[in-house]
Amino acid sequence: MNETNLLKDRPVYVVGIGLHRYQRRSDTTYVELGLTAARSALSDAGITWPDVEAAYTGTALLGMGSSRIMLSRLGATGIPMTQVENASASGSSSVAQACLEVASGRSDVVLALGVDKPRGGLGAAPSQAGIENLESGTVVPFTHFALLASEYMHLHGVSAEQVAKVALKNHRNGASNQYAQRQKVRTLDEILAEPISGAMTRLQCCPVGEGAAAVVVASEDGIRRLHLDQSRAVRVAASVTRTEGLYDAGVGIDAALTAETGSAAFHQAGLEPSDVDVLEVHDAFAIEELLYAEALGLCSPGEAASLIESGEFDIGGRCALSPSGGLLAMGHPIGPTGTGQIVEVTRQLRGEAGSRQQRGAQIGLTHMVGIGAVCVVHLLVSE
Amino acid sequence: MTLSAAGAIAAATWPAGDYGSVVKGTMTVQARHPRLLRLTDPPSILGHQCIGCRRVAFPPDPYGCEGCGSLSGDLEEFVLEARGTVRAVATVHRHHQPSPATPFTVAVIELTGGPVIKAIVAGTGVGVGTEVEGVLVQDVEDDVGDILVDLQFRVMA
Repeated sequence: MNETNLLKDRPVYVVGIGLHRYQRRSDTTYVELGLTAARSALSDAGITWPDVEAAYTGTALLGMGSSRIMLSRLGATGIPMTQVENASASGSSSVAQACLEVASGRSDVVLALGVDKPRGGLGAAPSQAGIENLESGTVVPFTHFALLASEYMHLHGVSAEQVAKVALKNHRNGASNQYAQRQKVRTLDEILAEPISGAMTRLQCCPVGEGAAAVVVASEDGIRRLHLDQSRAVRVAASVTRTEGLYDAGVGIDAALTAETGSAAFHQAGLEPSDVDVLEVHDAFAIEELLYAEALGLCSPGEAASLIESGEFDIGGRCALSPSGGLLAMGHPIGPTGTGQIVEVTRQLRGEAGSRQQRGAQIGLTHMVGIGAVCVVHLLVSE
Repeated sequence: MTLSAAGAIAAATWPAGDYGSVVKGTMTVQARHPRLLRLTDPPSILGHQCIGCRRVAFPPDPYGCEGCGSLSGDLEEFVLEARGTVRAVATVHRHHQPSPATPFTVAVIELTGGPVIKAIVAGTGVGVGTEVEGVLVQDVEDDVGDILVDLQFRVMA
């Protein structure tokens, strides 16, 4: 692996964040969604649109050419704009590209946006690859994860109620997040009702709606030149993308890929899993949060369920896991999701998360996996 | 037609022959996934083995080897016994298509030949660790009476 660490040579900071609430599909155009988040991020950073030198739009569902028709309404400045598609990790990859552009020295100030509106079906390319499989059509994502839940519960002696407590926590967190699609505290009985597949019930599966999230990243030169507030800037300590390798038969690819990507990110940042104060993971289905907490090294295999139960991963616990409500409650509008994780963790590391604040949070992590399979992990540090 | 254990066809009544389809009287019995199944008794699953790195994989791949990058011409058919052990199981209550009718049960099955697959398990009594075997199940019958069959699994007696 190439050991060159651009982020060390030329540090990159998140200097502005903005969201459009995640919500059910509505008549609001994607242009309106995206502009709301972008304007909010510019205002949060204290910059104007002409200060931005390039833009990356994370989107998986809009079709070609979405950026310019949207962002030119901030002023047609003619800057380079590129759509970034990486399935569920599209927004994470838009941030990764923006960081790379700043770290490389090509730009000082770059916008990473995530925006999407759901359509009927996801139109995933792997299903059109011409590779037949026996289960095609019968094993959709919620069943893929229900099967992982079955294996996990059997292997570690974990009950369906314990898995459901992931959703209990995340719905509670989402209830105090004004940008979340689901903002209701739920009881365990409510969460356990309405079975979908295996142990996964409706409230243990994320809603796929619409929304937008925006992040402005800048170099130290950019921060100085534009007189930005360095005390609210959060440094990007690692940005790592990996794709699925070849694992032994039966190994859960999502967790194995997460372990590899997380490990590379900690190495890049010179940090340890035990350093993390706050993190957002791809909890599209409740079981995933347990798998990824373990794969990222926050605890030992099989330990996450009891740590969730004892409140260790609550806001106020040893490490706040999915304080935004995660994909389960904040929602998973696809393109925005990974960008929105950066927004939440930045808010936490600035100490601006209000009632959801993890006190004293200094080191944060974001994690998305996507069909393919891809995985993107960022580590953020407040200094 | 719904998929159920009751819909299982006795594979023994079919002549062993080329995989993909067999002629039974005037009727053609066709596998829903002809590249993945051999309609023998008992049915077999078709994977591939790379002559470069010896990796055995399922499903068979028309493009190349994920282990070493060998071209598809270096991937040889590898017949897998449709038998294995259940590693995980889930009963599906919501499905976006009328077939299979809900609830149905899907399992992760570690085949005796190595690869791990996912398939429907018909009948009851399946759990993690259960030994299962493949069975051909009638899926649909088209206008001219040809039968489409698919592989499901059932708990071994």
